Amino acid sequence: MNAGSSQSRLRSIATTVAVALTLTLAAAAGCDSRQEPDLPSVQEKLRESHIYGQSKLRIGVATNEPLMGELRNGQHYGFDVEIGRYVAASLGYEGDQRLEFVSVSTEDRIPALQGGTVDLVVSSFSITEDRKKLVSFAGPYLVTTQEVMVPTRLKDKIRTIEDLRDPIYKVCTSGGSTTEAELEKHQVRTFVVKDVGDCVDGIREGRYDAVSSDEAILAGFLASFPKEFELVDMPFGTSELLGIGVPIGDPALRDLVAFFLQKSYEQGRDGQASPWQTAYNRTLGPWLRAEKRQPQPLDVPKLVDFDDKAPRR
Amino acid sequence: MSTTPTATDGPVPPPRASVPGDTAATPGVDVPTAVDADSARWPAGVPVAEPAEPVVAAVEPGRVRWDPAERRARASQSFWTAVVGVPAIFSVLRLGVEAGGELQTTLLLVANVGPVNLLAGFLTTAARLLSTGLVAVFALGAVLAVSVDRLPPGTRRPLFARWADLTPAWVVLASFLLALLTWPLLYLPLLLPAIVAAFQLRPGRLHERVAPRLLLIVALLAAYGWLVLPTLRDAVEQGGERLVLALIVVPPVLALFIAGPLPGMVIRPLASVTEVAVLAMLVWAALPVISTPVLPLTVTTVGAENGPTEDVRGHVVTTDDVNMVILQERGGVRYVPVDQVRAQVLCPSEEELPRHRLRIHDFHVEDSLLEGMGRRVRPVHRIDAACRAPG
Repeated sequence: MNAGSSQSRLRSIATTVAVALTLTLAAAAGCDSRQEPDLPSVQEKLRESHIYGQSKLRIGVATNEPLMGELRNGQHYGFDVEIGRYVAASLGYEGDQRLEFVSVSTEDRIPALQGGTVDLVVSSFSITEDRKKLVSFAGPYLVTTQEVMVPTRLKDKIRTIEDLRDPIYKVCTSGGSTTEAELEKHQVRTFVVKDVGDCVDGIREGRYDAVSSDEAILAGFLASFPKEFELVDMPFGTSELLGIGVPIGDPALRDLVAFFLQKSYEQGRDGQASPWQTAYNRTLGPWLRAEKRQPQPLDVPKLVDFDDKAPRR
Repeated sequence: MSTTPTATDGPVPPPRASVPGDTAATPGVDVPTAVDADSARWPAGVPVAEPAEPVVAAVEPGRVRWDPAERRARASQSFWTAVVGVPAIFSVLRLGVEAGGELQTTLLLVANVGPVNLLAGFLTTAARLLSTGLVAVFALGAVLAVSVDRLPPGTRRPLFARWADLTPAWVVLASFLLALLTWPLLYLPLLLPAIVAAFQLRPGRLHERVAPRLLLIVALLAAYGWLVLPTLRDAVEQGGERLVLALIVVPPVLALFIAGPLPGMVIRPLASVTEVAVLAMLVWAALPVISTPVLPLTVTTVGAENGPTEDVRGHVVTTDDVNMVILQERGGVRYVPVDQVRAQVLCPSEEELPRHRLRIHDFHVEDSLLEGMGRRVRPVHRIDAACRAPG
């Protein structure tokens, strides 16, 4: 009897505790559901970035790199342009009315970002440690290697880096590019011009004998003059990581661009048609010797967006 | 009404004296006398409908008391009044809030938002609140009811206990089903102790012998564990999600102990505190429901042909042949000529941003079962660029 009553007392205490805990949990859940979300969201980052409220987004692109960034009849074409359009649309700038492509030459890319004449640069911009001190990068969105393109008449003569060192050949490259530094490292004397396009024109006019730049840019010129040039595979050690340049004072914008590149990367990885793949197929795809995939972007922040609740599978 | 005469060819009965005949419907007064007084003036030949048996309520003399049937009828009447009236009042209040407190804008909305749309819109957003209120009342009511039964007879039953007594089991079950479908998955474990409490399901109900009972409980917990274990792992990895952990782990354990009477000393304070708390919770939770928009949020691109365009962020109230009427998000009504509308997109609002980054078997923890199933029907969610632009 006594044991029974103490058991029932224990039982009623357990019930009381259970009721009290359930009520507490329910109250905590109620409070939690009314709290502001503490995860950083895309909207919040947009508000922090300098482009918030801007009526137009200005993207710096190249105008004379076929397949990457080219100006034809007043329209911008190319892989970089397509990537720029995707990023702009993700940021809320869709259509020509809200998007302005600004022509920047290879050497003007950093000053344009620093001076605020463009909001983003998508122009075969290689990510390097030195440049990172001046501008921020989101990406990479393309990994390329350095290549050399020679006119068909020289395709049997220039085969190695050693051949390039021969002073009888004039090697041309664009100023302020990573190629320039790389060639210097290999003690190749170079003629530095403004853009790779100038090198190509120079070769066609007989002023230079070879041009070195990254694979994607050269593929563009090869597509323009398929009969006149040939790519020579040379073992330059470094790969080029192309990134989207962002002003260094705007980490929020960098995060957003990286986030949207990652979104495209994830779509492609899941076997869906990603914006990157579409841009690639429409421009570079048919002209590169080896097929490329979108590289995984680095330093991607975890941001919350409206489509976070959508099923993943 | 029992004393109402049936319509026949006879002469029209004269107006009936209101006193005392009309009180015949209410039990507790001297019914036969009333009928006598009435029939004294009744025209000959007109049949009089009389109750088969005079209603005699067992009441103390001199005091009017409702019999239980009458009481239930009145309770059901007030219940249905509340069911219809509360959403109606809330909906109208919501229109006022939606209009930004402006009388003319409110009238514009009233003129253009149909009552059915309004009610359906209200139920879409308030189903969660409604089911929460009902579940809380029924669970607490059952706990209090079973506890009060142990007190000496004559003790006044707490309000929730009386409500729980009055409600048929299917209504309670329906409320739980509604909660199951509309609550966010994260809070669903709380339904376990609630339903156990509401129906006072002791573990003994599972099986009469101890060993199979324990086995069943372990199997149930294991199934639950399989369901939530990946989520728990993610929550631990993400850190700082202590409440999520507690909300998932603790309720099933509480469900094992929650059925049963409470000690006498706890009942009285618990009854009054929870009554106030549930009321406060309902008011507190009703505020966001009132301020949830009635109309969907859109961004309309407006501009003349080949000219510059402008994005108007707001709710489309109505469109006719001439104008599209947009209630702007920041306030004010815009009448946009129809031929200037270039594009229109539906946008999510910032309140829909998730608070957690956790999933239970690919269902987001903040989705209800209904929402989660809906997302499986239409899995791709595209956010239009125009929605990102500031309002």
